[in-house]
Amino acid sequence: MANVQNQSVFYAERPEWEDVIPLPQYESVKPLAPIFYTPEYKDATDYFRGIVRMGEKSPRVLDLTENIIRQNPAHYSAWQYRYKTLMALGVPLEEELRLMDELAVKYLKTYQVWHHRRLLVQQTRNPAPELAFIAGCLQEDAKNYHTWSYRQWLLAHFNDEALWANELDFVDGMLDIDVRNNSAWHHRFFVVFQSGVRKGEEDRSEVLHRELTYVKMKISVVPNNMSAWNYLRGILDHSKTPYSTLASFVAPYCEAEPTRPDDSSKDIVDLEDPFPSQDAHLPCAAAIEFMADVHESLGGDNLKVATELWSSLASTHDAFRKKYWEYRIREAQSRAH
Amino acid sequence: MAQNLKLLVPLHVSYIQNLGKSQDELAYHLTAHLRMNAIYWGLTALYIMGHQGALDREEMIEFVMSCWDEEAGGFGAHPDHDAHILSTLSAIQILIMQDALDRLDVDRVVKFILSLQQPSGVFSGDSFGEVDTRFLYCAVNALSLLGRLSELDVERTVSYIRECRNYDGGFGATIGAESHAAQVFVCVAALAILDRLDVVDQQTLCWWLSERQLPNGGLNGRPEKLEDVCYSFWVLSALSILNKMTWIDSEKLVSFILSAQDPESGGIADRPGDMADVFHTQFGVAGLSLLGYPGLVDLDPVYCMPASIIEARGLRKGWKSLPRKSL
Repeated sequence: MANVQNQSVFYAERPEWEDVIPLPQYESVKPLAPIFYTPEYKDATDYFRGIVRMGEKSPRVLDLTENIIRQNPAHYSAWQYRYKTLMALGVPLEEELRLMDELAVKYLKTYQVWHHRRLLVQQTRNPAPELAFIAGCLQEDAKNYHTWSYRQWLLAHFNDEALWANELDFVDGMLDIDVRNNSAWHHRFFVVFQSGVRKGEEDRSEVLHRELTYVKMKISVVPNNMSAWNYLRGILDHSKTPYSTLASFVAPYCEAEPTRPDDSSKDIVDLEDPFPSQDAHLPCAAAIEFMADVHESLGGDNLKVATELWSSLASTHDAFRKKYWEYRIREAQSRAH
Repeated sequence: MAQNLKLLVPLHVSYIQNLGKSQDELAYHLTAHLRMNAIYWGLTALYIMGHQGALDREEMIEFVMSCWDEEAGGFGAHPDHDAHILSTLSAIQILIMQDALDRLDVDRVVKFILSLQQPSGVFSGDSFGEVDTRFLYCAVNALSLLGRLSELDVERTVSYIRECRNYDGGFGATIGAESHAAQVFVCVAALAILDRLDVVDQQTLCWWLSERQLPNGGLNGRPEKLEDVCYSFWVLSALSILNKMTWIDSEKLVSFILSAQDPESGGIADRPGDMADVFHTQFGVAGLSLLGYPGLVDLDPVYCMPASIIEARGLRKGWKSLPRKSL
């Protein structure tokens, strides 16, 4: 963008802007409280209002709006007018996207940066390079809500087989960095269960088995991870699989010092029921809760076991959520009577 | 520990009164896009603390009206900004709290709001087109306050919210997006207004919401994230609407909110030791009101406005907060 280097020069002093009449704020309105802008911001926004009044959409508007956005990335009118100008000029949008590469990382938490990008990519219809760009942004902030939503939108909107191809590897990489990243777990569910069935994934029971194995392995390494337990519950609910089928996997996580199976000293990992890692902090509250749900679902005498488990959560393992566990006990008892 | 901390009402009132006088030019222009919301937050917090007269009524109404975007038929956040649904809802809420709705061209603003609904049922925030369940809530809330819900395509609106429901029972900002406590609030509150709470998987969602409390008493917005005072409102409001307030440890949460106060200059921050702002001040006070903190005015968690005002308009839903404790 031609004049960005001259940012220090006021628009009021630039000959090429002579023809624009700046429009100051509050022509006729008494503000609730006086506002003390920086001279640079006041100058740029005065000229912006002047441009908008004239309805001008020219290359210099791109310079002006970029200047304002750099001073205040949340100025949504500047973003909006910038987009209209880009469309009116019909300029190639690649240059704009490169500028956005820089601004997105700078203003990661600004809504407008992401929305503008969405509009641009809908025009260029070239989503492929975006995946690497998003991955880069997530290196900066691995749980950024806008960034993840943008990725989900991109995949679903273009819904191109090639775009989806490496998504599971991508999630895997994110979880390798931080296995507690709930955004990554959510994305995994989105990719596997919420976005239609892609080639190679037609056998849903095989997919379910793969996902169960995956989440069980992650839990075995770090058991106290709500995101993984939520994912496990999510896929069981989604596939209507009874929780009781997981009882043998969950059992050792409910004990402070589970007895290791004979072969666990060898380097053999049981993929169906991976044992808690050596340094796991046990018992795991989420496992006890899961086991209580198993017993509750079986009913009959098992309700007594469920109640004991909830009581142990209320008194010891998850005491600050005591009220919730007491509620579960009351509910179960009222149903039993 | 924060057991003996009190809500510093006079200090927070003067903090809010002084906001508009801030000479900190950088912070001020960077938040211009939130000015209308900030006034709504400040006024609501004052109302809940029993000091609604602490800001000049006429000046406030004049400011709101100066943000009217004649071309669009809605309110911008600031006199020179384009109309947006966020600032339009705030403007309507302020005018109602100030009993000045007669200043509003209701027909035009209803038309503006309805024009933002997309074929999928969600709303965009402005003509720029960004969509979010937040904007959907703003539209539903505003139309309800104006008594014009009958003009909304309710089925289409509800169906979008249903599509945003995730495996953990929560809701995201758009279809496919992760559950987030603030988005849970907007979706649940919108469904409450539309009398469609049947869409919520209440057992799973309330469990997920109660999971948001951390050992220090504070609430987070997503699993494995940091606690933040504003989630006191996002999580509590949803629990209150679904009548599950008792599932969290209220005493610990009260202590957490109080410990995030700035005891010198007033205001409440996102967490203890951080800088206070009007957003966290409002949502901290709102959370305390729902928790039955003594001396506060009842807050309606569906509309996030004083409960008496919502009741007077005949809009009260079946939410339950904790009983008000005596001083």
